[in-house]
Amino acid sequence: MTTLSLTINGRKHGPMDVRDDLSMNDFLREMLGMTGTKFGCGAAQCLSCAIIVDAPDGTSTTSPTCVAPAVNFHGKSIRTVEGHAKDGELSVLQKAFIEHFAFQCGYCTAGFLGEGQVLLERLSRNPVPREALEQTIADALDGHLCRCTGYIKYHEAVRDVILADSTRYLIATK
Amino acid sequence: MISDGPFKTIAVIAALASSLCAAYAASETTTPALASPESFANIGETEKRSAAIFTELGKVLTHPRCTNCHPAGDRPHQGDNARLHQPPVTRGADGHGLEAMRCNACHQNANFEPGRMPGHPDWHLAPREMAWEGKTAGDICEQIKDPARNGGRKVEDLIDHIGKDTLVGWAWKPGFGRAPAPGTQEQAGALVEAWAKTGAACPAP
Amino acid sequence: MRPSRRAFVKWMTAGGISVSLSHLASAAGAPFAAHETLPGRGKFNPATKGAGRVDGVAKVTGAKLYASDFRANDLPGWPQTTSHAILVRANDATHVYTGIDLARLKGALKPSVVVTAADLDRIGTQAPEFYAGDLFCPPGKTPLYLGQPVALLIFETFDSFDQTRLALRDGSFVKFGEETGPVMAPDYGSYRFTRVAGPSPEKPDVYSPLQAGWISPRKLQNAALPVWSPLAKEMPADYARAAKHGEQIRAELAADDASLLVLDREFETQSVDPMFLEPECGLAWYSGKGGNLELVLGVQSPYEAADSLAFLLAKAAAPYKPAHINAQFAHVGGGFGGRDHTPFILYVALAAICFPGKPVRLAHDRYQQFQGGIKRHPIKMRSRIGIDRATGIIKAFAADHVLDGGGQANFSANVATVAATAAIGIYDIPKVDVTTVALHSRGVTAGSMRGYGALQTLTAIEVLIDEAAGELKLDPIEFRRRNALRQNGRTMTGNPYIVSVRTPEILDRLEKHPIWQQRAQFKSASSDRLVGTGVACVTKDYGAGADCSLGRVELGADGKIAIFCDHVEMGNGIGTALANRVGAHLGAIADDVSIARVDGYEILGLVTSGDPYTIDQKTQDAAQRNPRWVPRISSATSASVGAHVGTHSSAEAARVIFRFGLWPAALELWRIPKTDSRARRWASATWQNGQLTMPGLAPLALPMLAATAHARGFVTGAIAHSFSRWAWSRARFALFGEQYRAEIDALAIRRGNGRFERINRSSVKFPPSDNNRIGTAYTSMCGALVRVEIERATGSLRIAKAYSVLECGTALVPEVVMGQSQGGFAMGVGYALLETLPPFEGGPGGGDWNLGRYLVARGSDLPLRDLEIEMLKPLTPDEPPKGMAEVVMVPIVPALINAIFDATGHRFRALPVTSSLLKGVLA
Repeated sequence: MTTLSLTINGRKHGPMDVRDDLSMNDFLREMLGMTGTKFGCGAAQCLSCAIIVDAPDGTSTTSPTCVAPAVNFHGKSIRTVEGHAKDGELSVLQKAFIEHFAFQCGYCTAGFLGEGQVLLERLSRNPVPREALEQTIADALDGHLCRCTGYIKYHEAVRDVILADSTRYLIATK
Repeated sequence: MISDGPFKTIAVIAALASSLCAAYAASETTTPALASPESFANIGETEKRSAAIFTELGKVLTHPRCTNCHPAGDRPHQGDNARLHQPPVTRGADGHGLEAMRCNACHQNANFEPGRMPGHPDWHLAPREMAWEGKTAGDICEQIKDPARNGGRKVEDLIDHIGKDTLVGWAWKPGFGRAPAPGTQEQAGALVEAWAKTGAACPAP
Repeated sequence: MRPSRRAFVKWMTAGGISVSLSHLASAAGAPFAAHETLPGRGKFNPATKGAGRVDGVAKVTGAKLYASDFRANDLPGWPQTTSHAILVRANDATHVYTGIDLARLKGALKPSVVVTAADLDRIGTQAPEFYAGDLFCPPGKTPLYLGQPVALLIFETFDSFDQTRLALRDGSFVKFGEETGPVMAPDYGSYRFTRVAGPSPEKPDVYSPLQAGWISPRKLQNAALPVWSPLAKEMPADYARAAKHGEQIRAELAADDASLLVLDREFETQSVDPMFLEPECGLAWYSGKGGNLELVLGVQSPYEAADSLAFLLAKAAAPYKPAHINAQFAHVGGGFGGRDHTPFILYVALAAICFPGKPVRLAHDRYQQFQGGIKRHPIKMRSRIGIDRATGIIKAFAADHVLDGGGQANFSANVATVAATAAIGIYDIPKVDVTTVALHSRGVTAGSMRGYGALQTLTAIEVLIDEAAGELKLDPIEFRRRNALRQNGRTMTGNPYIVSVRTPEILDRLEKHPIWQQRAQFKSASSDRLVGTGVACVTKDYGAGADCSLGRVELGADGKIAIFCDHVEMGNGIGTALANRVGAHLGAIADDVSIARVDGYEILGLVTSGDPYTIDQKTQDAAQRNPRWVPRISSATSASVGAHVGTHSSAEAARVIFRFGLWPAALELWRIPKTDSRARRWASATWQNGQLTMPGLAPLALPMLAATAHARGFVTGAIAHSFSRWAWSRARFALFGEQYRAEIDALAIRRGNGRFERINRSSVKFPPSDNNRIGTAYTSMCGALVRVEIERATGSLRIAKAYSVLECGTALVPEVVMGQSQGGFAMGVGYALLETLPPFEGGPGGGDWNLGRYLVARGSDLPLRDLEIEMLKPLTPDEPPKGMAEVVMVPIVPALINAIFDATGHRFRALPVTSSLLKGVLA
């Protein structure tokens, strides 16, 4: 057993004792009841279980939760699908997913949402030229599996969020 | 049907030697051993002995545990049958993956057995010039001696790199569902040492 | 207004167990149904302005929605702690199973309960016929198939479950003895479809399944394959008659006739997994001692699930037999057919029954889902086609199909017949003879999966047609056009389609498309890459020949709409389609859409008897005298029926509310007396921006109309049931002094704020039982073009451009149709190029398959910016919706194989065509 404290969606959890071999996925789903983070393959292949990890330097990455022990998240700050909307107001990307009919069964949505959000934040720090945008999105989302939609609407949703605020996400080209 | 402790309901309990951690144990027991440097003493000619020692070491270097992350291209392989790595990731600028898919997002500080996920703090791909995939022991031998293709190492440096480096050492503790590299890391290190001391000759490619 | 939650409605009973599909009334906490009713009153509804799905917000915020999201402490009235079960399966089917050895489990790792075959014997369970075979393989027997369950292990706490599953995951604790070879079992069904057309299209057929019925050969000997010869002894007369025609067709194809091009080709498809992202799971709680069994499940066939559970326990011994089964159904994380009639739910129930008082969760991980989940049938096909060289007209077609059904019957016989009747694709062929047989094997059970047999045989025919066009030096599209079945032409079973047939239009679009027009210039443009273009065009049935739906629509006095439907939301957008279809009648999008609901229709008092597929006309005529009898009560969400069938009853219920609620309210508000001729012009009224408009009259807002209907006691709610056997049932109902006719067979209405009251039908016309001889009468079409680039050196294939054109009548939610098409494209690419499972040893039944080893299409495998989908406008503004979720996947596969031929000159005759196979032929 190891003591675990972490911040989830801005709220502190712990300290609590967890088994060293408890996966982060089971910690969220079984111990906390936070089932918005999904379990798909248990092998880091589909990334429907991915969450956002916020580093102290202001950068963020996604992490699958099925192949990582919960205790590795000690002291970290993470965001899950339950934390994207603020005070009932959906995030821009959440709205774009809805408006684009980006998902069907929705089981992969939490993973795509986290990955897309991390991409948006990365681009707001390090914008890319317009001509690199589609490939940047494709590279960012390629780890995530979706069996219903064929991915196109997810990509279009992310792209349209970026194009709608291009001064923020893209390098100005003359 | 509700049992109070011992399994009254189990119809058959076969007598079985220790099956705890069976697969891991089983795969270890099936791992071929490495011959010791001494076992090559009967080869009189030093250069031939050296090359023979490297050929033995080659069982390690051409093993999927090594070649999967010393790939010929930019994409690692995985598994005992060395299929292309999924999800599709490439080495990226620093060998630690792409900006949106870093190695350590999945490969944490240590193996995580419930997820069958291998791990090490410095998990990354070998540089492109160190590609071993598809090569013979002889090819690898020439390559590994060439400072331009071995990370600027002297032959003697390889003794510790192969014999003691902990990322290399992962190949002998790869976790559930992956066959370990032959022998032990110590044995591999001893072979490197003996090879270096015998002039680091290479087997025919 | 929610439906009454009178606990445990005795809606159907089996073996003395009442089965309710209702929800436990609950004082505290949100009841399960509230999670599944979307978006919910007062919540943001993206569907209102067509800018999203009714389940949109729930799905982007991680709301509890899927069966896998629920634990005991999420459910009001349940004990707080969840126990967990492991379903242990056999990873060998050629040796005698001797038992499980749990000696390695010490202390907390020991299960609280171990359930084996002996326990089921003691309890007295019975396996539904669909899942015939031992529910657990008993020691001493060879498992019937790889992945057959042998035991359930139940753990009181998550920690002990979690650690034990790790300790047991190598599977070596499942013990086997001497080698026996696989268990041999009879085939699951064999059929012959033979048709000989008359001398001209207007003349009746000489022979057809529609005239003569469906026929099977008699099982003559203990051999793997049936004997198809009409000369064999003891063949039934009806079989021999068909077979003689069939043999004649085959003789003509074999004859030495220079005027006829005859191709004789084999094609083979592989086993694949539906790979829906949410592995199967369920939660159940049995109070014990003949009390209630509560379940939370996620399936495509809720009614069948409840029925099977009741059958499972109907003869159970006293302490194990629940008095009530209450099954609750969730949104599902993908289905693709693999959750239609799944035996998994039986084990969820058994876990609870064997651990009374404790809620138990049974959930597959992905390895287990590969090991135990329903697969697609691999099919070995041999096809012969004869084409008149002079005219390019197809004269005859004969084929033999052998399907591997795996370990349990499941849908194998149905898949075999759908595969066979789809085998001539879009073509009009006067002489057809197809045999089909589904075999038992030791493979993992195959069943329903998107494409359902037709995917396999349509791929074979479209690849064959491409080859024939090449042999004849005819343009592939022109060749298809010459042979395409026309609107009133007859299908292989002898019936015409009763829906639009738009093949010529689709072929025209394909022909004019730049991908096709530019195929030659792209082919010659490249050196290190081979470029090829492929085309395919298919027609695919939708519906299963005995489809039904239940719908309940309620209009509040405030104009708010609630819909309840028995069909399941598996991503197909049925919730939004329901809202849109009801909205077309009532002028607004519902606030509450509750799907997978099999409760709430009790007032209809429906009863059923017999099998809707095999009932004879006399029996049906007798049964329908009972005004509450229907051929079937509820059917699965499968066979692309969501739009066409799933929404039908709710739409008809809404129509009744409009006609007898909102329309009379409008007349009152407009002060138009009933005697005024305008009073009968309801069909001329239209909804515009939530207002009912008629030329020359003031527009009326829905809330005002609803309030008036409530105040005046007009109809404000309706419940309807509908049934289709390649045609809708139709009935008359005495309503407010008139005989109301509709394509439904049961109706209840609510006036004002009153209770629902059943309106017994005054007459009914069910589709005749002979319609069961139809292969399909509903079909939709899709064509595809793909341009591929293949790297010479590596065999790596890239889809450079693709185009898919489909027709589906009226698209209820066009964005979902587009999404389904894009998703169908991705699944088609996976099936053609990536996905495969070894059928037996080394395959998924061993329990060590997962993604990574099994490849499905990722974004990088697809032409995300170069896929164009075109949806043809409906033929008429009121053309009904047509099922399209399957057909859109199908042409992608043969188009890819044909493009690969165009690029490489090699015609692959087995799937998938992987890059290593391509590299092999390019070497």
